[in-house]
Amino acid sequence: MSYLFDLERSAQGLRLNRFLHALIDSSFRELFKADPEKAMQRLSDKEKDLVRRLDWKGMQDCGASFFCLEKLARTKGVSNPEMVAHFRGESLAEFLKTRRVPGAR
Amino acid sequence: MARIIGGIGTSHVPTIAMAHDRGKQDDPDWKPLFKGYEPVAKWLAEKKPDVLFFCFNDHATTFFFDQYPTFALGVSEEYRIADEGLGTRKIPTLKSDAAFSRHIARSLIEDEFDIAVFQDVPLDHGLHSPLTMMWPTQPDWPGKVIPLVVNVIQAPLPKPIRCYKLGQSLRQAVLSYPRDLKVAIVGTGGLSHQMIGERAGFNDEKWDLEFLDLIDRDPEKLARMSIEDFMRRGGNEGAEVIMWLIMRGALDRGARKVHQNYYLPMTTAMAVALFE
Repeated sequence: MSYLFDLERSAQGLRLNRFLHALIDSSFRELFKADPEKAMQRLSDKEKDLVRRLDWKGMQDCGASFFCLEKLARTKGVSNPEMVAHFRGESLAEFLKTRRVPGAR
Repeated sequence: MARIIGGIGTSHVPTIAMAHDRGKQDDPDWKPLFKGYEPVAKWLAEKKPDVLFFCFNDHATTFFFDQYPTFALGVSEEYRIADEGLGTRKIPTLKSDAAFSRHIARSLIEDEFDIAVFQDVPLDHGLHSPLTMMWPTQPDWPGKVIPLVVNVIQAPLPKPIRCYKLGQSLRQAVLSYPRDLKVAIVGTGGLSHQMIGERAGFNDEKWDLEFLDLIDRDPEKLARMSIEDFMRRGGNEGAEVIMWLIMRGALDRGARKVHQNYYLPMTTAMAVALFE
Protein backbone atom coordinates (compact mmCIF):
# COMPACT_ATOMS: atom_id res chain seq x y z
CA MET A 1 0.00 0.00 0.00
CA SER A 2 2.79 2.38 -0.91
CA TYR A 3 1.67 5.93 -1.65
CA LEU A 4 -1.79 5.40 -0.21
CA PHE A 5 -3.59 8.74 -0.58
CA ASP A 6 -4.79 9.26 2.98
CA LEU A 7 -5.83 12.25 5.04
CA GLU A 8 -2.21 13.14 5.87
CA ARG A 9 -1.24 13.23 2.19
CA SER A 10 -4.46 15.05 1.37
CA ALA A 11 -3.63 17.78 3.88
CA GLN A 12 -0.02 17.97 2.66
CA GLY A 13 -1.09 18.24 -0.97
CA LEU A 14 -4.18 20.43 -0.64
CA ARG A 15 -2.70 23.55 -2.29
CA LEU A 16 -1.11 21.60 -5.14
CA ASN A 17 -4.23 19.47 -5.67
CA ARG A 18 -6.38 22.61 -5.72
CA PHE A 19 -4.26 23.97 -8.57
CA LEU A 20 -4.37 20.66 -10.47
CA HIS A 21 -8.11 20.28 -9.94
CA ALA A 22 -8.75 23.81 -11.26
CA LEU A 23 -7.53 22.61 -14.69
CA ILE A 24 -10.98 21.07 -15.31
CA ASP A 25 -12.08 24.67 -15.97
CA SER A 26 -11.31 25.50 -19.61
CA SER A 27 -10.69 29.18 -18.84
CA PHE A 28 -8.08 28.23 -16.21
CA ARG A 29 -6.46 25.85 -18.72
CA GLU A 30 -6.23 28.70 -21.20
CA LEU A 31 -4.63 30.91 -18.55
CA PHE A 32 -2.17 28.13 -17.67
CA LYS A 33 -1.22 27.71 -21.33
CA ALA A 34 -0.89 31.48 -21.94
CA ASP A 35 0.74 32.51 -18.65
CA PRO A 36 1.76 29.49 -16.56
CA GLU A 37 3.51 31.58 -13.89
CA LYS A 38 0.35 33.57 -13.24
CA ALA A 39 -1.75 30.39 -13.09
CA MET A 40 0.72 28.89 -10.60
CA GLN A 41 1.11 31.99 -8.43
CA ARG A 42 -0.31 30.37 -5.28
CA LEU A 43 2.03 27.37 -5.42
CA SER A 44 5.31 27.16 -3.50
CA ASP A 45 8.57 27.53 -5.47
CA LYS A 46 9.16 23.78 -5.14
CA GLU A 47 5.68 22.96 -6.44
CA LYS A 48 6.06 25.39 -9.36
CA ASP A 49 9.33 23.73 -10.33
CA LEU A 50 7.76 20.26 -10.24
CA VAL A 51 4.83 21.41 -12.39
CA ARG A 52 7.14 23.13 -14.92
CA ARG A 53 9.18 19.93 -15.29
CA LEU A 54 6.09 17.66 -15.23
CA ASP A 55 7.81 15.70 -12.48
CA TRP A 56 4.92 13.33 -11.76
CA LYS A 57 6.71 11.43 -9.03
CA GLY A 58 7.92 14.63 -7.37
CA MET A 59 4.39 16.04 -7.36
CA GLN A 60 3.11 12.78 -5.89
CA ASP A 61 5.74 13.01 -3.16
CA CYS A 62 4.34 16.50 -2.38
CA GLY A 63 0.87 15.03 -1.82
CA ALA A 64 -0.64 15.23 -5.32
CA SER A 65 -3.52 12.81 -5.90
CA PHE A 66 -3.13 10.68 -9.04
CA PHE A 67 -6.60 11.82 -10.11
CA CYS A 68 -5.59 15.48 -9.85
CA LEU A 69 -2.34 14.75 -11.72
CA GLU A 70 -4.50 13.33 -14.51
CA LYS A 71 -5.99 16.81 -15.08
CA LEU A 72 -2.49 18.25 -15.69
CA ALA A 73 -1.57 15.27 -17.85
CA ARG A 74 -4.64 15.78 -20.08
CA THR A 75 -3.89 19.53 -20.29
CA LYS A 76 -0.30 18.78 -21.39
CA GLY A 77 -1.22 15.87 -23.70
CA VAL A 78 0.49 13.23 -21.53
CA SER A 79 -1.09 9.75 -21.42
CA ASN A 80 -1.60 7.58 -18.33
CA PRO A 81 0.88 4.93 -19.56
CA GLU A 82 3.52 7.70 -19.79
CA MET A 83 2.78 8.70 -16.18
CA VAL A 84 2.87 5.09 -14.99
CA ALA A 85 6.20 4.54 -16.77
CA HIS A 86 7.57 7.64 -15.02
CA PHE A 87 6.47 6.33 -11.60
CA ARG A 88 8.24 3.05 -12.36
CA GLY A 89 11.39 4.85 -13.43
CA GLU A 90 11.09 3.49 -16.98
CA SER A 91 10.79 5.00 -20.44
CA LEU A 92 7.42 4.59 -22.14
CA ALA A 93 8.99 2.09 -24.57
CA GLU A 94 10.37 0.00 -21.68
CA PHE A 95 7.01 0.06 -19.90
CA LEU A 96 5.07 -0.95 -23.03
CA LYS A 97 7.30 -4.04 -23.38
CA THR A 98 5.78 -5.27 -20.11
CA ARG A 99 2.21 -4.93 -21.41
CA ARG A 100 0.10 -7.50 -23.28
CA VAL A 101 -1.38 -5.11 -25.86
CA PRO A 102 0.97 -2.13 -26.21
CA GLY A 103 -1.26 -0.54 -28.86
CA ALA A 104 -4.29 -0.29 -26.57
CA ARG A 105 -3.77 3.29 -25.40
CA MET B 1 -43.91 -1.43 -7.52
CA ALA B 2 -40.35 -0.86 -8.67
CA ARG B 3 -38.30 -4.01 -9.17
CA ILE B 4 -34.67 -4.94 -9.73
CA ILE B 5 -34.27 -6.91 -12.95
CA GLY B 6 -30.54 -7.54 -12.74
CA GLY B 7 -27.09 -6.18 -12.15
CA ILE B 8 -23.96 -5.31 -14.10
CA GLY B 9 -20.38 -5.14 -12.86
CA THR B 10 -18.03 -3.18 -15.09
CA SER B 11 -14.70 -1.39 -15.25
CA HIS B 12 -14.84 2.36 -15.73
CA VAL B 13 -11.36 3.01 -17.17
CA PRO B 14 -11.21 6.37 -19.01
CA THR B 15 -9.48 4.77 -22.01
CA ILE B 16 -12.67 2.74 -22.64
CA ALA B 17 -14.42 6.04 -23.37
CA MET B 18 -11.53 7.24 -25.53
CA ALA B 19 -11.58 4.00 -27.55
CA HIS B 20 -15.35 4.32 -27.92
CA ASP B 21 -15.28 7.95 -28.99
CA ARG B 22 -12.45 7.33 -31.49
CA GLY B 23 -14.42 4.50 -33.10
CA LYS B 24 -11.98 1.69 -32.17
CA GLN B 25 -14.73 -0.98 -32.06
CA ASP B 26 -13.09 -3.04 -34.82
CA ASP B 27 -9.46 -2.23 -33.95
CA PRO B 28 -7.81 -5.59 -33.10
CA ASP B 29 -6.33 -4.07 -29.92
CA TRP B 30 -9.79 -3.09 -28.67
CA LYS B 31 -12.17 -5.58 -30.27
CA PRO B 32 -11.95 -8.10 -27.39
CA LEU B 33 -13.21 -5.38 -25.06
CA PHE B 34 -16.11 -4.23 -27.23
CA LYS B 35 -17.18 -7.82 -28.04
CA GLY B 36 -17.38 -8.48 -24.31
CA TYR B 37 -19.95 -5.74 -23.81
CA GLU B 38 -22.24 -6.86 -26.67
CA PRO B 39 -24.25 -9.38 -24.59
CA VAL B 40 -24.78 -6.70 -21.92
CA ALA B 41 -25.94 -4.11 -24.47
CA LYS B 42 -28.25 -6.74 -25.99
CA TRP B 43 -29.68 -7.63 -22.58
CA LEU B 44 -30.38 -3.97 -21.83
CA ALA B 45 -31.98 -3.45 -25.27
CA GLU B 46 -34.27 -6.43 -24.63
CA LYS B 47 -35.11 -5.85 -20.96
CA LYS B 48 -35.42 -2.07 -21.32
CA PRO B 49 -34.80 -1.00 -17.72
CA ASP B 50 -36.28 2.42 -16.96
CA VAL B 51 -33.41 3.25 -14.61
CA LEU B 52 -29.76 2.26 -14.29
CA PHE B 53 -28.65 2.83 -10.72
CA PHE B 54 -24.91 3.55 -11.00
CA CYS B 55 -22.50 2.91 -8.09
CA PHE B 56 -19.28 4.61 -9.16
CA ASN B 57 -16.59 6.96 -7.98
CA ASP B 58 -15.81 10.51 -8.84
CA HIS B 59 -12.13 11.07 -9.76
CA ALA B 60 -11.61 14.38 -7.94
CA THR B 61 -13.68 16.06 -10.64
CA THR B 62 -17.14 16.83 -9.27
CA PHE B 63 -15.91 16.68 -5.71
CA PHE B 64 -12.62 17.99 -4.37
CA PHE B 65 -10.75 17.18 -1.17
CA ASP B 66 -11.97 20.35 0.54
CA GLN B 67 -15.12 18.29 1.09
CA TYR B 68 -15.23 14.67 0.07
CA PRO B 69 -18.27 12.51 0.83
CA THR B 70 -17.97 8.80 1.57
CA PHE B 71 -21.36 7.98 0.02
CA ALA B 72 -23.32 10.61 -1.93
CA LEU B 73 -26.53 10.17 -3.92
CA GLY B 74 -27.57 12.37 -6.83
CA VAL B 75 -31.12 13.72 -6.59
CA SER B 76 -31.34 15.85 -9.78
CA GLU B 77 -33.48 15.49 -12.90
CA GLU B 78 -30.32 15.54 -15.03
CA TYR B 79 -26.52 15.69 -14.93
CA ARG B 80 -24.15 17.39 -17.34
CA ILE B 81 -21.01 15.67 -18.63
CA ALA B 82 -17.91 16.89 -16.75
CA ASP B 83 -14.82 18.41 -18.35
CA GLU B 84 -11.85 16.44 -16.98
CA GLY B 85 -9.19 18.43 -18.81
CA LEU B 86 -9.91 17.56 -22.43
CA GLY B 87 -13.27 19.27 -22.90
CA THR B 88 -16.53 17.36 -22.56
CA ARG B 89 -17.43 14.16 -24.41
CA LYS B 90 -19.97 14.68 -27.16
CA ILE B 91 -22.69 12.63 -25.52
CA PRO B 92 -26.13 13.71 -24.32
CA THR B 93 -26.78 15.13 -20.86
CA LEU B 94 -27.65 12.31 -18.46
CA LYS B 95 -31.38 12.12 -17.68
CA SER B 96 -32.42 11.07 -14.20
CA ASP B 97 -35.50 10.56 -12.03
CA ALA B 98 -35.42 13.07 -9.16
CA ALA B 99 -38.58 11.82 -7.44
CA PHE B 100 -37.26 8.24 -7.34
CA SER B 101 -33.82 9.48 -6.20
CA ARG B 102 -35.39 11.43 -3.33
CA HIS B 103 -37.33 8.34 -2.28
CA ILE B 104 -34.09 6.34 -2.24
CA ALA B 105 -32.34 9.05 -0.17
CA ARG B 106 -35.18 9.04 2.39
CA SER B 107 -35.29 5.25 2.51
CA LEU B 108 -31.51 4.84 2.98
CA ILE B 109 -31.40 7.41 5.77
CA GLU B 110 -34.45 5.85 7.43
CA ASP B 111 -32.45 2.61 7.34
CA GLU B 112 -29.51 4.41 9.04
CA PHE B 113 -27.30 4.86 5.95
CA ASP B 114 -26.63 8.57 6.41
CA ILE B 115 -25.61 9.44 2.86
CA ALA B 116 -24.86 12.90 1.51
CA VAL B 117 -26.91 14.17 -1.44
CA PHE B 118 -25.96 16.35 -4.41
CA GLN B 119 -27.71 17.96 -7.35
CA ASP B 120 -27.01 19.96 -10.50
CA VAL B 121 -23.37 18.94 -10.93
CA PRO B 122 -21.49 17.46 -13.90
CA LEU B 123 -20.37 13.81 -13.62
CA ASP B 124 -17.13 12.24 -14.82
CA HIS B 125 -16.05 9.11 -16.71
CA GLY B 126 -16.61 6.89 -13.67
CA LEU B 127 -20.23 6.77 -14.77
CA HIS B 128 -20.27 7.43 -18.50
CA SER B 129 -17.20 5.51 -19.71
CA PRO B 130 -19.01 2.20 -19.06
CA LEU B 131 -22.42 3.68 -19.95
CA THR B 132 -21.50 4.27 -23.61
CA MET B 133 -20.45 0.60 -23.87
CA MET B 134 -23.98 -0.47 -22.91
CA TRP B 135 -26.45 2.13 -24.03
CA PRO B 136 -26.82 3.97 -27.35
CA THR B 137 -26.38 7.76 -27.21
CA GLN B 138 -28.52 8.49 -30.28
CA PRO B 139 -31.11 9.88 -30.64
CA ASP B 140 -30.84 10.10 -26.84
CA TRP B 141 -30.19 7.79 -23.88
CA PRO B 142 -32.88 5.07 -23.79
CA GLY B 143 -33.45 5.51 -20.05
CA LYS B 144 -32.48 7.28 -16.89
CA VAL B 145 -29.52 6.99 -14.54
CA ILE B 146 -29.28 7.59 -10.81
CA PRO B 147 -25.73 8.20 -9.54
CA LEU B 148 -24.33 6.99 -6.23
CA VAL B 149 -20.81 8.30 -5.67
CA VAL B 150 -18.50 6.30 -3.40
CA ASN B 151 -15.18 7.51 -2.00
CA VAL B 152 -12.52 5.06 -3.13
CA ILE B 153 -9.76 7.64 -3.73
CA GLN B 154 -9.00 9.13 -0.29
CA ALA B 155 -8.41 6.76 2.63
CA PRO B 156 -10.14 5.89 4.89
CA LEU B 157 -12.39 4.14 2.35
CA PRO B 158 -15.67 2.51 3.37
CA LYS B 159 -15.37 -1.12 4.43
CA PRO B 160 -16.33 -3.80 1.90
CA ILE B 161 -19.02 -5.13 4.27
CA ARG B 162 -20.51 -1.63 4.50
CA CYS B 163 -20.79 -1.50 0.72
CA TYR B 164 -22.52 -4.89 0.65
CA LYS B 165 -24.98 -3.83 3.37
CA LEU B 166 -25.61 -0.55 1.55
CA GLY B 167 -26.61 -2.66 -1.45
CA GLN B 168 -29.08 -4.58 0.72
CA SER B 169 -30.55 -1.32 1.99
CA LEU B 170 -30.69 0.01 -1.58
CA ARG B 171 -32.71 -3.09 -2.53
CA GLN B 172 -35.32 -2.23 0.11
CA ALA B 173 -35.36 1.38 -1.09
CA VAL B 174 -36.05 0.34 -4.70
CA LEU B 175 -38.63 -2.32 -3.84
CA SER B 176 -40.56 0.10 -1.61
CA TYR B 177 -41.08 2.65 -4.41
CA PRO B 178 -44.72 2.54 -5.49
CA ARG B 179 -44.21 3.30 -9.21
CA ASP B 180 -43.87 0.43 -11.66
CA LEU B 181 -40.24 0.82 -12.73
CA LYS B 182 -37.67 -1.68 -13.95
CA VAL B 183 -34.27 -1.02 -12.38
CA ALA B 184 -30.84 -2.48 -13.10
CA ILE B 185 -27.99 -1.90 -10.65
CA VAL B 186 -24.50 -1.16 -12.00
CA GLY B 187 -21.38 -1.53 -9.86
CA THR B 188 -18.25 -0.09 -11.42
CA GLY B 189 -14.49 -0.21 -10.96
CA GLY B 190 -11.40 -2.35 -11.31
CA LEU B 191 -10.33 -4.84 -11.77
CA SER B 192 -6.69 -5.05 -10.62
CA HIS B 193 -4.56 -1.98 -11.22
CA GLN B 194 -2.22 0.40 -9.48
CA MET B 195 -1.45 3.80 -10.96
CA ILE B 196 0.94 5.22 -8.35
CA GLY B 197 4.29 4.60 -6.68
CA GLU B 198 6.89 2.03 -7.64
CA ARG B 199 4.16 -0.64 -7.89
CA ALA B 200 2.43 1.33 -10.68
CA GLY B 201 1.44 -1.04 -13.48
CA PHE B 202 0.67 -3.88 -11.04
CA ASN B 203 -1.98 -6.44 -12.05
CA ASP B 204 -2.95 -9.88 -10.78
CA GLU B 205 -5.06 -11.91 -13.16
CA LYS B 206 -5.35 -14.77 -10.66
CA TRP B 207 -6.97 -12.45 -8.10
CA ASP B 208 -9.20 -10.90 -10.75
CA LEU B 209 -10.58 -14.29 -11.78
CA GLU B 210 -11.06 -15.27 -8.13
CA PHE B 211 -12.96 -12.01 -7.58
CA LEU B 212 -15.17 -12.65 -10.63
CA ASP B 213 -15.93 -16.12 -9.27
CA LEU B 214 -16.64 -15.00 -5.69
CA ILE B 215 -18.79 -12.00 -6.63
CA ASP B 216 -21.10 -14.56 -8.24
CA ARG B 217 -20.86 -17.56 -5.92
CA ASP B 218 -19.96 -16.16 -2.49
CA PRO B 219 -20.11 -12.34 -2.33
CA GLU B 220 -20.26 -12.46 1.47
CA LYS B 221 -16.76 -13.92 1.51
CA LEU B 222 -15.57 -10.84 -0.42
CA ALA B 223 -17.57 -8.58 1.88
CA ARG B 224 -15.78 -10.02 4.92
CA MET B 225 -12.34 -9.14 3.49
CA SER B 226 -10.64 -5.94 4.68
CA ILE B 227 -10.02 -2.99 2.38
CA GLU B 228 -6.29 -3.60 2.93
CA ASP B 229 -6.76 -7.13 1.54
CA PHE B 230 -8.38 -5.66 -1.57
CA MET B 231 -5.46 -3.21 -2.00
CA ARG B 232 -2.82 -5.87 -1.49
CA ARG B 233 -4.38 -8.28 -3.95
CA GLY B 234 -5.76 -5.89 -6.57
CA GLY B 235 -3.56 -2.79 -6.21
CA ASN B 236 -4.28 0.49 -4.39
CA GLU B 237 -6.68 1.66 -7.07
CA GLY B 238 -7.99 -1.87 -7.70
CA ALA B 239 -9.68 -1.79 -4.28
CA GLU B 240 -12.44 0.23 -5.95
CA VAL B 241 -14.10 -3.11 -6.85
CA ILE B 242 -15.83 -2.81 -3.48
CA MET B 243 -18.43 -0.85 -5.48
CA TRP B 244 -19.41 -4.13 -7.18
CA LEU B 245 -20.44 -5.30 -3.70
CA ILE B 246 -23.12 -2.58 -3.52
CA MET B 247 -24.56 -3.91 -6.78
CA ARG B 248 -24.32 -7.54 -5.62
CA GLY B 249 -25.91 -6.73 -2.26
CA ALA B 250 -28.88 -5.17 -4.03
CA LEU B 251 -29.65 -8.26 -6.13
CA ASP B 252 -31.91 -11.13 -5.24
CA ARG B 253 -30.07 -13.86 -3.31
CA GLY B 254 -30.74 -16.25 -6.17
CA ALA B 255 -29.23 -13.99 -8.85
CA ARG B 256 -26.40 -15.57 -10.83
CA LYS B 257 -23.76 -14.42 -13.26
CA VAL B 258 -24.88 -15.10 -16.82
CA HIS B 259 -22.04 -13.43 -18.76
CA GLN B 260 -18.50 -12.22 -18.14
CA ASN B 261 -15.60 -10.79 -20.14
CA TYR B 262 -12.04 -10.13 -18.99
CA TYR B 263 -9.39 -8.18 -20.89
CA LEU B 264 -6.04 -6.93 -19.61
CA PRO B 265 -4.38 -4.95 -22.39
CA MET B 266 -2.46 -2.18 -20.61
CA THR B 267 -2.56 -0.94 -17.00
CA THR B 268 -6.05 -1.89 -15.81
CA ALA B 269 -7.81 -5.24 -16.06
CA MET B 270 -11.11 -4.49 -17.80
CA ALA B 271 -14.04 -6.69 -16.91
CA VAL B 272 -17.77 -6.76 -17.40
CA ALA B 273 -20.23 -9.20 -15.84
CA LEU B 274 -24.01 -9.54 -16.05
CA PHE B 275 -26.22 -10.92 -13.27
CA GLU B 276 -29.91 -11.75 -13.31
